[in-house]
Amino acid sequence: MAELPVSTPSRAATPVVPGPSRQRRLVLPAALASLALLLVLAAPELLPTYLVNILIRAFLYASVAITVDVLWGYTGILTFGQSAFFGIGAYAAGLVFTHVGFDTGLALAALAAGAVVAMIVAALVGWLAFHPGASPLYGSVITLVLPIVVTQLLYSGGNFTGSSSGLSGFESFELSIEAWFRIAGVFLVVLTGAAWIFVRSDAGRILEAVRDDEQRCAYLGIDVSRVKVLLMVACAAIAAVAGWLFACVQMVVAPEYAGFVFGTELLMWVALGGRGTLIGPVLGTLVLDVSTSYLSGALPFLWKLMTGLAFVVVIIALPQGFLPALLALLRRAWKLPAAAAALPPVTLQAAEPQPLSGLQGAGHYALVVEDVRRHFGSLQVLQGIDFHVRPGELLSLVGPNGAGKTTLMRCIADGAERSSGRIWLNDHDIRRLPPHACVALGAGRKFQNATVFETLSVAQSMRVARTRLSPPSMLRRATELALPAAALQVMRATGLDQQLDAPCNQLSHGMKQALELAMVLALEPSVLLLDEPTAGLTQAERTLIGRILVELTRDHALCVLLVEHDLDFVREISSRVIVLHQGAIVLDGSVDDVVHSDLVRNVYAGGHAPVAGAAS
Amino acid sequence: MTPALELAALSSGYRGAIVVRGLSLVVQPGEIVALLGKNGMGKSTVLKTIMGLIAAKAGAVKLLGDDVTGEPAHLVARRAVAYSPQERALFQDLSVEQNLRLGLPGGRGDFAAELTRIGTIFPVLPKRLRQRAGTLSGGEQKMLLLARALISRPRLMLVDEISEGLQPSVIERLTAVLKAERDAAGTAMLVVEQNVGFALSVADRYAVLKRGEIVDEGAVAADGVAARVNRLLEV
Repeated sequence: MAELPVSTPSRAATPVVPGPSRQRRLVLPAALASLALLLVLAAPELLPTYLVNILIRAFLYASVAITVDVLWGYTGILTFGQSAFFGIGAYAAGLVFTHVGFDTGLALAALAAGAVVAMIVAALVGWLAFHPGASPLYGSVITLVLPIVVTQLLYSGGNFTGSSSGLSGFESFELSIEAWFRIAGVFLVVLTGAAWIFVRSDAGRILEAVRDDEQRCAYLGIDVSRVKVLLMVACAAIAAVAGWLFACVQMVVAPEYAGFVFGTELLMWVALGGRGTLIGPVLGTLVLDVSTSYLSGALPFLWKLMTGLAFVVVIIALPQGFLPALLALLRRAWKLPAAAAALPPVTLQAAEPQPLSGLQGAGHYALVVEDVRRHFGSLQVLQGIDFHVRPGELLSLVGPNGAGKTTLMRCIADGAERSSGRIWLNDHDIRRLPPHACVALGAGRKFQNATVFETLSVAQSMRVARTRLSPPSMLRRATELALPAAALQVMRATGLDQQLDAPCNQLSHGMKQALELAMVLALEPSVLLLDEPTAGLTQAERTLIGRILVELTRDHALCVLLVEHDLDFVREISSRVIVLHQGAIVLDGSVDDVVHSDLVRNVYAGGHAPVAGAAS
Repeated sequence: MTPALELAALSSGYRGAIVVRGLSLVVQPGEIVALLGKNGMGKSTVLKTIMGLIAAKAGAVKLLGDDVTGEPAHLVARRAVAYSPQERALFQDLSVEQNLRLGLPGGRGDFAAELTRIGTIFPVLPKRLRQRAGTLSGGEQKMLLLARALISRPRLMLVDEISEGLQPSVIERLTAVLKAERDAAGTAMLVVEQNVGFALSVADRYAVLKRGEIVDEGAVAADGVAARVNRLLEV
């Protein structure tokens, strides 16, 4: 079926909350950016030459610090390796200018070569560091090794790379120091502005979502590895451009600029300035690099000790870094509201349904499970599970704790989970596909523990959940949020629609459950896997969610697989029940078959087996 | 009699948001009190504040007459308070046995005897001693959590949504287990529950929390309590 455009039919229904308009919200940042540009253009005439020289370098370092902040502060990738890409860009210029010669065409070719090599290396590093299942530590170790490898290559390059003394004395653009100052300054201001727009855009939220919970992202259909690799590649290219500029200005390149000491210094500057703020790392780099230049001559050993101590003090006293602490102080002094008020108001709308978007038509069966087995070492958790489910069936999985219910859910939503056997979603074999690809085949899985993005708001989380079906903008934050009817229903029933701006970490456990369910429904799945979706919800909320599930199966031919312990709930809504015991199906039949079976009474329900008509 | 737990006009919450407002509640030794309420009404926050995991904004928490307001969690725990949180707060990479042994008071005690006792409550746990806690199923992790709390022989148990994710027959057994523990050791319990049926079957008294305040409390044995509580939770 072709992808339908997301339209906005029920616009009039939702009241528009008055708030700062987009234009007004942009006034302050635009004014700050213009002021920064003005300063950059005017400053070289006013500042002493030595300071102008140092600031050029600091501007370029700060540009690299921004990429570190985007990777680490926003996305949670602790990287020591951005210096290597800076070095690659610098050496691209140094090598071409030394061995080939200099003219504008060659300079641009060197720029392109540096950026391309940096991007290829970054893609390689990303592939190694972020393959599915890699721990964050693994990525950090690889980015730590990268600058060491690059430095070693430069050392062993003999006359070609200039070994430990690097390359110098090559020709470059004949520009005044003031001109370089303006070029580097404008580069930094533009880069900061672009990064600011990106991280605040709807696409930028995905970075924070990845930082908060990679697994949840993957099960929302987001290819986390790809997001991280692409980001790494883009950040590498930017660092390489900064390195190229650096070589053009300084007319010297040395292995230290690609080294891991520089890579670590970048992290320190970002942390001191305030990671996850963009402006903090820029200011941190400028202040620390400039003061280092002035003071390291006067206090050669003491200065290193002082910056080291400052780092320790800031990490302990101001774990968020200097800028957030300063802003909090100013806010308190002027009694301004907290930053959260800056979020644009969001209005909910109904989205045009896109069932099975991207699939070649629905299958005869929504789900086919054939001889699926799963063992952990010698422990057999699933021993040959077989069943078929048609669209429109609401199938409950019941069974004692430890029977393998959650394991079965996991096998259906992640091709790598089962030990053997085959599974088809909408007649598509899931083979060994990762979770995000199973989402594209129609799977939507809600976890047993409520998993939400702790630092995002309710509205932001829902938008992240829509990433696959309505790709977010990299430039702006939409004020409308179009969601499928089922997701809207859950949000209205539980009151989440009244808390769109609430940060998820302040939601109660039950609200987190409801939010996760709404996020999964926002995927418009055709096979909905729900692991105890009503745990922690009140009876009234359970009833409502039960009704929504019944409607989804009846009216939209959704297939729902439900793990539940509340047999009354199961009896009310299921069209079919499978009983799992010690990893095997012991009963597969109608609700009545199961509820009245002696087996269920004995191994599972105890005296609490519901009798038709009686509620516990 | 000195109450096992006394909350006096307790207020608490998170940055900027007061969640519990002037709450007063007493749990006597040997008494089981169920704290009921809809989501987001502050039930878990009450338990976390008693434990010292969240700072009280006003009011006092008293354990057996001692004011422990503001005391850090590890000191509160040393007063024989066992807290089983809603999240499965187990040491995921340790084995079932190691998790259980960590429950022994001061790390000492007759583990074999405790294990026999736990085995009669949750037969699955002694069979899984070498298994990593993180690989247990969701319901089994809940059982381990409660078993660890019971092993610590607490004077006060704070139990958050223990019935969530457990099979009906286990929940049924749990009612008997908690009552037996109370009868044998005189343990006081504050039980936060969403499952009203289970809560009322195990508790002596109940309190309903709404927007951080107690709107109703009384003896479970009174007439029509279940209907009354369910009505309060619907609105």
